[in-house]
Amino acid sequence: MESLSPDRLFTCIQCGRCTGSCPEAGRTAFNIRMMVRKRQFQRDVEASLPWYCTSCGACTLRCPRDVKPSEVVIDVRSALVEEGRIPLSIQKALENTFVQKNPWGRSRAKRGEWVEKCGFEVPHVGDTASKVLLFTCCIQAYDPRCMVIPVNVATLLRRGGLEFGVLGEEEACCGNEIRRIGETGLFEELLEENAASLKEYGVREIIALSPHCMNALKKEYGNLGIKVSHYTEVLAGLLAAGALRLNGKYEGKAAYHDPCFLGRQNGVFDPPRKLLRSVEGLDLLEFARSRETSLCCEGGGGRMFFEVEDAGLTRNAEVRAAEAAEMGADLIATACPFCLMTLEDAAKEKGQTVKELSEILMEVI
Amino acid sequence: MSYTLVVAEVRRGLFEERNLDTLGLAHLLGKEIRLLAPAGAPGEGEKFCNAVIKVEASETDFQNPLTMVRVLEKVIEGGGRPGAILFTSSSSGIELASYAAGVLDLPLITDVSGFDMERAVFLKSYYSDKIFGEFRPGEGTFAVTVRSGSFKDYATEKGGAASVGTIDGIATDPARTFIEYVEEEKGAIDITKADFLLSVGRGIGSKDEIAGYEELAGLLKAVLSGSRPVIDKMWLPKPRQVGTSGKTVKPKVYLAMGISGAFQHIAGMKDSDCIIAVNKDPEAPIFQYAHFGFVGDANKLRDKLKDIAKG
Amino acid sequence: MNLLVFTKRVPATQEEELRIVDDGRRVDLSKVPFKINDWDNYAVEAAIRIAESAGGAVTAISMGDGESDEVLRRAIAMGAKDGFLVRMESAIEDPMARATIAYNFLRKESVPFDAIFTGVQSEDDQFASVGGILAAKLGLPYASMVVGIDAFEQDHAIIRRELEGGLQERVRILLPCVLAIQSGINEPRYVSIMGIRKASKVERRVFGADAYQEGSRTMIDLVRWVYPPKKGGASMLEGDLEAVGKGILGILREKGVYQ
Repeated sequence: MESLSPDRLFTCIQCGRCTGSCPEAGRTAFNIRMMVRKRQFQRDVEASLPWYCTSCGACTLRCPRDVKPSEVVIDVRSALVEEGRIPLSIQKALENTFVQKNPWGRSRAKRGEWVEKCGFEVPHVGDTASKVLLFTCCIQAYDPRCMVIPVNVATLLRRGGLEFGVLGEEEACCGNEIRRIGETGLFEELLEENAASLKEYGVREIIALSPHCMNALKKEYGNLGIKVSHYTEVLAGLLAAGALRLNGKYEGKAAYHDPCFLGRQNGVFDPPRKLLRSVEGLDLLEFARSRETSLCCEGGGGRMFFEVEDAGLTRNAEVRAAEAAEMGADLIATACPFCLMTLEDAAKEKGQTVKELSEILMEVI
Repeated sequence: MSYTLVVAEVRRGLFEERNLDTLGLAHLLGKEIRLLAPAGAPGEGEKFCNAVIKVEASETDFQNPLTMVRVLEKVIEGGGRPGAILFTSSSSGIELASYAAGVLDLPLITDVSGFDMERAVFLKSYYSDKIFGEFRPGEGTFAVTVRSGSFKDYATEKGGAASVGTIDGIATDPARTFIEYVEEEKGAIDITKADFLLSVGRGIGSKDEIAGYEELAGLLKAVLSGSRPVIDKMWLPKPRQVGTSGKTVKPKVYLAMGISGAFQHIAGMKDSDCIIAVNKDPEAPIFQYAHFGFVGDANKLRDKLKDIAKG
Repeated sequence: MNLLVFTKRVPATQEEELRIVDDGRRVDLSKVPFKINDWDNYAVEAAIRIAESAGGAVTAISMGDGESDEVLRRAIAMGAKDGFLVRMESAIEDPMARATIAYNFLRKESVPFDAIFTGVQSEDDQFASVGGILAAKLGLPYASMVVGIDAFEQDHAIIRRELEGGLQERVRILLPCVLAIQSGINEPRYVSIMGIRKASKVERRVFGADAYQEGSRTMIDLVRWVYPPKKGGASMLEGDLEAVGKGILGILREKGVYQ
C-alpha cells in the first residue's frame, strides 16, 4: 500500500511537468501542480477539485522528483472521505460496494452469471488443476454491453487450450477505483476478502480482464506470490506459441487506443498490438498520442461516478473519436471496459465504431 | 362485531379516489359498511356504504391521529366494536392506523393488497413486492390499511346510505396541531425529491421535442429529468441528469420516454417504485427493469397524453 | 436534548431473486447481504444534525440479532453517542409485538429521551407501524412521513409531513414525541469503513429481548409466504395510443401521483 510520506511531498520543485501532462489541465479548473503546492503548505483544496483526477498516472510517470502526484490526489480524497465530504454519486458507489461488493450495487449472487452465456462449462477455479483464475471485473459481470468481453475471452482462452476457472460470486470488486477514490478502509476490506479467496483455492495465476483489476491485483495487493497478467498478454503468448490460430479476415483500419492502466501504468503496449497485427485485413493505425502519451478516456479515478460540471466541456472521448475519424480509421480498438464505455458513448455521436479487442478476435477465429 | 368501519380520507375538500379501495375491501368482508367522515366531506362515498357517521371536526383535525383515536373511542362507545377498521394506505392512513392500533390494542396489517375470502387471510407485501405474506388477524376488532388500486373494482353501490349519526365534542389536542398546507417549492431543481419523474432519452430525437415534454410534465405534475446523452447535448441542464454520474432517484413513478436503458442510467433509477418505459425498440434493455412498458413512438404518446390530460 | 433513534439491519433485497423454502414457512435470505434500513439512515442523520446544532446527544437502538451491532456502529460513526442492542434471535414480524418490546425496554431501563425517531418503514416488512404504535403506548404525540424539520426546540417542534402529489402539511408537535422520518429529508453523510471501525471502541450495551416480553404477543398470524400474483418482466401495454395513454394515466392515479 502506497503511503505518502511528507518528505516526498517536499521534493516537489513545482516544475509543472505534471500539469503539463494532465488530461484535465487547461480544460478544467484542476491543477495538480497547485494541489501539491497547497498540500505542502497544508492549505485547503476546493472540495470538488480532487474528484476531477482520472488516475491516468501521467503526472506520476513524468515527475522528475518521484513526488507521485496521483498519490497526492488519493491522499486528499482520503481526507475528504473520512470527513464524509464527497460527491453524492461517489458516496453511492462506495455504499454499493460495501453492501454488494461492486460499485453498481448489483446483486453479488449474480456476479458469476455471465458464464451461462459461454455455451460451455466454466469451472470454479478451485476445481481446476491449473489454478489459473480469470478475474471478471464488476462492470463486465453486470453490464450487458461489457459482458461480451469475459464470454469472448473465456472462449478464446479455451480455444488456446488453456485451463482456467472463475470465482463466481465469491469474487469481490478488486478495489482499484475504490482506492483511487480514497476509501482506504473499504479497499482493505476488499483486498482481504479477495486475498482470502485466492489463498483458499490455491490460485497460482490471475488473468485479469480489465487493466484496472490487473493494476490492483498486481501492484496493490501486496506480495500474493501470484502471477498477474492482462488477458491480451496471455492471448498474445498463445498466438505466438501457435496454440491459438486466427483464420478469418477483418477488413478495416483500426486505431488502437492505449488504456492508461494497461499501457502507461503497467507497460503493456505490445501484446494488444501483436494481436491486432495478426488479424488479416486489419490495418493498425497509431494515434499521435499513443503508448505512454495516450489520451486518457476520463473513465478512471472514480470518474464513472463523478461528472465535471461544465456544460461546454469537450470530453476527451469526443476528441479521440474525432482523431480517429481524421486518420481515416474505421474503428477504435481498445482493451479496457472503461475505455470501451466512455469512448463508445462519444463515438456513437460521430458515427464511429469502438470495439474491444476480444470482439475483433472473435470474428476471426 | 357486526360492521366494518371505513375511515374516509378527505383532503382539501376532495374525497380521495383511494377510498374506493377501502370500500371495496369492506364489501368483500361482507358486513354492514359504516363510513366515518368529517362532517363537511363531499358525499361521493356514501353510495358504497350502508351508513355514514359524520364527525364534527375540521378535515385536518379528522386526519390528526390524536383526534382520530378519540373519535374511534366514541364510535365504539356508541355503536359497539366493529369487526374491522379500514384505512387507506396513504400518508395519513398509515399514520392513523398505527396510532389507533397502539391505543386500542388492535391487530394491524398494513398495505394489504389482496384478500382470500375462503381462508380469511390478507396478502401483505414484503421486500418491495417480491414476496407476500399471508396474514390472519387474531380475535376481535382488527385494523388494516388498504393499498391503493387493489380493491376499487369491488366497491359496490348499496342503494342509499342512512346516516347513523354524528360524533361531536372532539377537542383539538394541543400536543399536535395543523398549521398549514405547503405546496412544492418551484425553486431549485432537485429531481431526487420528486414523487414522479418524466424522463427523456436520446430516443425523443431532438431538442425541439423538449418543449412538448415540459408541457406534459406540467400537466401531469411531474418533474422533467433525462439520461446522460440528453444532458450532454444540452437539451436539459445537468441537475436533471439521472444516472451513476448524475443523480440516483427513487420516485413513486419513473416514466421513461425514449430511454434505452444503458447500464449507468439503470443504476440511477432501478429502485423506483413504478417504472413505465416507452421505447420504439422492443429489445431496449429498459424493459427488463420496467414494471410497465409500451413499444411505440414516445413523442406521439406524449402528444396523446397531453390531449387526454387537457380534455 | 436526548434523541433516540431506532435503527434496523435489513436484507438488501432490491437486486435479489428471493426464494420461499420450508413449505412456505421461510424466505431464504442466506445469500442476501444486509445493510442499514434506508429510512433509518435518514432518521439517524436527522437526529445527529439536531444534536449538532441544538446541542444534545443521540442514542441508537436496534432490535435484532447479534449482527445488528453493525448498524449501531454505523450510527455511532455518524455521530451517535452510544448504542443499545435489544437482542432477539428470530425476527418478530408483528409490529404490535415489536413495539411492545420496545415500549417495555424503554420503560424498564428508564431510557431518557426528549424525542424518538424511527424511519417511516423498514425495507423488509414495510409495516410502517412500530413508531405509531410505540407513540400510542407511551402516550406521546406522533407524526409520520416527516420530510422536513423547520424548528426543533426543547418543548416543541415544527415539522412538515409528506402528503400525496407533492403536497406537504406543516404541523406543530409538542415534545416529547415520536417522529417517523421519511427518506429524502436530508442527505445522510457518508461513513467510511475506517470510521465504522473506530466506532467499535464506543460501548454498545446489549440487552436480551426476553426481559421485555410483558404484554407482547403476536396478534397477527403469519400463515405462509407466497410469491406475487404476477411474475417479473414488464406488463406490456397494448392497444392504440388512446388506450395506452388512458392506461398510463390510470397507473399514475393508482400510484397517487396524478389526480
